[in-house]
Amino acid sequence: MIDFMKRFSQNRGAVIGLTILTLVILIAVFAPLLYPNSPWKMVQRPFLVPFSVDGFLLGTDTLGRDVAAGLAHGARVSLIVGLVSTLVALLIGVPLGALAGFYGGLVDDGAMRFTEFFQTIPNFALAIVLVAILEPTLPTITLAIAIVSWPPVARLVRAEVLSLRRREFVDAARLAGLSNMRILFGHVLPNAMSPIIVMASLMVATAILLESSLSFLGLGDPNIMSWGYMIGAARTVIRNAWWLSFIPGLAILLTVLALNLIGEGLNDALNPRLARKGR
Amino acid sequence: MKKFITTSLMALTLAGAAHAENRLDIVVQPEPPSLMLGLVSNGPTQLVAGDIYESLLRYDTDLNPMPSLATSWEISDDALTYTFKLREGVTWHDGKPFTSADVVFSVDKFLRETHARLRVSLKHVESITAPDDYTVVFKLKQPFGPFIGVFEAGTMPMIPKHIYEGTDYKTNPANNTPIGTGPFKFKAWEKGSYIHLVKNENYYLDGKPALDDVYYRVIPDAASRAVAFENGEVDVLPGGSVENWDVKRLIEMDGVCSTGHGWEYFAPHAMAWMNNRQGPTASKEFRKAVMYATDREFVKNVIWNGYGTVATSPVSSKTNFYSDDTIKYNYDPDKARELLKASGYNGETVRILPLPYGETWQRWAEAMKQNLEEIGVNVQVVATDVAGWNQKQAEWDFDIAFTYLYQYGDPALGVARSYLSSNIAKGSPWNNVAGYKNPKVDDLFAKAAIAPTNEQRQKLYTEIQQILVDDVPVAWQLEIEFPTIYRCNVKDLVTTAIGVNDGLRDAYLED
Amino acid sequence: MTIVTAISGRLLKAVITLLMIVILNFFLIHAAPGDPAAVMAGEAGAADAQYIAQLREQFGLDQPLLTQFWNYVSGILQLDLGYSYRQQMPVLDLILERLPATLILTLTAFGMSLILGIVFGLAAAARQGKWSDTIITSLSLLFYATPLFWVALMAVVLFSIKLGWFPAFGYETVGADYSGFRVVLDRLEHLVLPAFTLGLFFMAVYLRMTRSSVLEVSQMDFVKTARAKGLSENIIRRRHILRNALLPVVTLAGLQAGQLVGGAVLTETVFAWPGIGRLMFESLTARDYNTLLGVFLISAAMVILFNIMTDLVYRLIDPRIGAGGSS
Repeated sequence: MIDFMKRFSQNRGAVIGLTILTLVILIAVFAPLLYPNSPWKMVQRPFLVPFSVDGFLLGTDTLGRDVAAGLAHGARVSLIVGLVSTLVALLIGVPLGALAGFYGGLVDDGAMRFTEFFQTIPNFALAIVLVAILEPTLPTITLAIAIVSWPPVARLVRAEVLSLRRREFVDAARLAGLSNMRILFGHVLPNAMSPIIVMASLMVATAILLESSLSFLGLGDPNIMSWGYMIGAARTVIRNAWWLSFIPGLAILLTVLALNLIGEGLNDALNPRLARKGR
Repeated sequence: MKKFITTSLMALTLAGAAHAENRLDIVVQPEPPSLMLGLVSNGPTQLVAGDIYESLLRYDTDLNPMPSLATSWEISDDALTYTFKLREGVTWHDGKPFTSADVVFSVDKFLRETHARLRVSLKHVESITAPDDYTVVFKLKQPFGPFIGVFEAGTMPMIPKHIYEGTDYKTNPANNTPIGTGPFKFKAWEKGSYIHLVKNENYYLDGKPALDDVYYRVIPDAASRAVAFENGEVDVLPGGSVENWDVKRLIEMDGVCSTGHGWEYFAPHAMAWMNNRQGPTASKEFRKAVMYATDREFVKNVIWNGYGTVATSPVSSKTNFYSDDTIKYNYDPDKARELLKASGYNGETVRILPLPYGETWQRWAEAMKQNLEEIGVNVQVVATDVAGWNQKQAEWDFDIAFTYLYQYGDPALGVARSYLSSNIAKGSPWNNVAGYKNPKVDDLFAKAAIAPTNEQRQKLYTEIQQILVDDVPVAWQLEIEFPTIYRCNVKDLVTTAIGVNDGLRDAYLED
Repeated sequence: MTIVTAISGRLLKAVITLLMIVILNFFLIHAAPGDPAAVMAGEAGAADAQYIAQLREQFGLDQPLLTQFWNYVSGILQLDLGYSYRQQMPVLDLILERLPATLILTLTAFGMSLILGIVFGLAAAARQGKWSDTIITSLSLLFYATPLFWVALMAVVLFSIKLGWFPAFGYETVGADYSGFRVVLDRLEHLVLPAFTLGLFFMAVYLRMTRSSVLEVSQMDFVKTARAKGLSENIIRRRHILRNALLPVVTLAGLQAGQLVGGAVLTETVFAWPGIGRLMFESLTARDYNTLLGVFLISAAMVILFNIMTDLVYRLIDPRIGAGGSS
């Protein structure tokens, strides 16, 4: 564990990423304290330029709503959607991939056909259709993102389990009389954790991008102020007030970047063999 | 090197992009589903096809009738017989002559079957006859004042009998190459990109049209449309093509003119249905609270950039028989709170269904949500697209639903349909969606439609407005103004009550 | 197993997959609230229930869902994708009309991103640890993290509005009667911004993959052996490192096909590009079922085709793979 943390902290990119992410999380957590009013409240003249009026650091939007408040509250949405949808995707993909890799044969075939099928449908298109059917609310969007994101997880887990199941400790466990399920979920999977964790961090990033893309197209939850929503709403005034699109986009960029850096850091720290080459 | 390439690229394209003489580029949004005006009468179709098809009359900006395919007309003293004399020597785009037989066919057969809105007016018609090739006579069952106002290109377009008689109108192949009598002919349609019309060389008015080519450009993104206008790619932005925030900026540019005219016939009236059947909105006090709680001046100033007029009645101030003599619901949150309490509201969530047609409407729904939350109502904005919006209204699955309706110049044509109890039916978002039932109002509307003099009609309509504003079944919001933006060298573009729809007949480019 | 057998096996699987996609999407799309009749009636401005019922009958929506489904599937098997009542033309024609635009956009973006990604990836790997490497990798990380639609918007603001270098949208300058070379130039000019923004993300992906792949392969034993044997650096690079390093990049490229189509939806919407990505979104909002299903079908077919082609390229690059298909 210490080794891992040491390796992680030596990766400059990862540390930067962690710092940024922590900042985002802090803002998200303390949003109700920093900006107690609802970000939807129309509090000032519209189209105030950033840094022009005290108390409105980032200016106001088309209806006179505080951009900074929107940004802070939006952080919660992005993080929650990212986390929950990734968790759900993992809940679907991990067991599927694990069972496929462990049992092989028909189970594997069936699971892989199913996974391939999902991967053939362009996932953004599917997300759009799902959200349109289910009607855009925060839960349905999260679900739709999870549904289009799980296939790579399943493939990864399957590959890991495939290679792990031939290892000696599995034979040993079998000899000891443990059931297949116990072996799979108690012994094999824990050893596959590292790549899953790395993938999870990248999935959170992708989920955030997906959610903002959906909101941008107008398929977001209209009662939730999210970063994607802010960009979408500002799109029509991009000539008069380009910063209204720029600022939330920057927020998305930094968060996604941070997650990617952390993911890489995790990858290097958990796979020292490759890290040794000084990537 | 890069700079050289880009500058030479720019030079080449600019050289070619300078528009050919006598050509106009107009934005159309969204892309019309069809140009066959007899079958489809939505906004974009009317915009483009209004210069391909014509009707017997046109209307100026005060809603006075002017000759079009009819050169003169007479209404009998008992107001039951309308006689139209048709213009001679008019030909369809395929060369065949236009005669009264076409008129009779268009109204009696074709449009009666396909045009829901005209059908309502045709109920008052007893017979349509053509005593000779250039005369048409409409006989009514009883006096119907609004009747002179239905001879408009989008309401009663003339359809070529020789092409459509006896065929299945909806699948007739001619639908893809619309044939009318208008100043412009259909040339080409590149789906997703543009529609190209060319001058009708055999148009019956000498020297018209002045333009040779018209391109209707399809640009799905609002910001892109504004950009297109700015860099000279399009010359005209019909009302509603760009978001209001761009309107202000574009109008201030050099060489750019704008006008609020050209919408008098439609008089778009923005309002929000309130479900009279169920939920908190079934209570009159609650509905009154909503009216007092919403700051419509704010909406007009901030969301519509000062364009438009706050609506005070179900009838638009631009429509005939408007009355100012009604209760006024000024912005008064305190009064709203009192009324809310009186209504017995107990915290249920009220859902707002916004119009799915752009950012302006989204902001509007958000503003209303804020206003209502401030007086203590729990509000949820529902996310929807066009199809969902249609369906929710049709199935009465809403609490407050935004919409805007056209008035068509007369309360009998555009207003009554929203408040008659006979118009309550699931399956359409265009009838009495709120579910308002008032036999007295029904009666008054029926009388007012057929009252023989304008004074009598005004009296009846004033009474109707007073009752409706007191019952407030619907939250009237704004009389919308959609300014048409155009280059100042385009002259006479908007001279009628339907503006750009049929304005190209007279439009010309000044050097 | 020869290449022919492998491919025919893949094709068969592809057909089955496509059929399943049709089935899934058919029921999925019909589950969305509202229907095309309501949308079109609504746009007609004053429709009544009778009009909507007329439309429903015309579109065949009044029949039971299974009957509609059966009609649709039998149509598909005869290569008839149905009729788009919204656009008033057969779906197949509609799609074929819009497909070229998307192909031009995505293939250009893809080609550009692949080539630039590999080139810069190689450059970065060769200068590993130096400043140039850091700059390249940092920039690629940046591009990887940027929301596509935001880049598109910012690109329009910067390159079109502020600098005026490129047109902000569209496929061509409308109505200008260019001929010959001018046409090509005009199209290219309109292609730059959309292709660039679409390709940016993928370029970052391929860049990073190439770089890490090259670095990994360079450390492998057979390369060390080749060096020890005294082979020139150039030959080592080309024959050994490149060939092997590119394999994962090729696989990755194949997997990205689906995302490319998805990215096309966003790009086409922002740039008003008349392709099938935008068509998909428009037909969804209009509940134009037949068109939507058609687009899904075609894009899935494209993805599958792409995967098969990637497989072929993979085999060409790596002669060690002959049998088996999946390693």
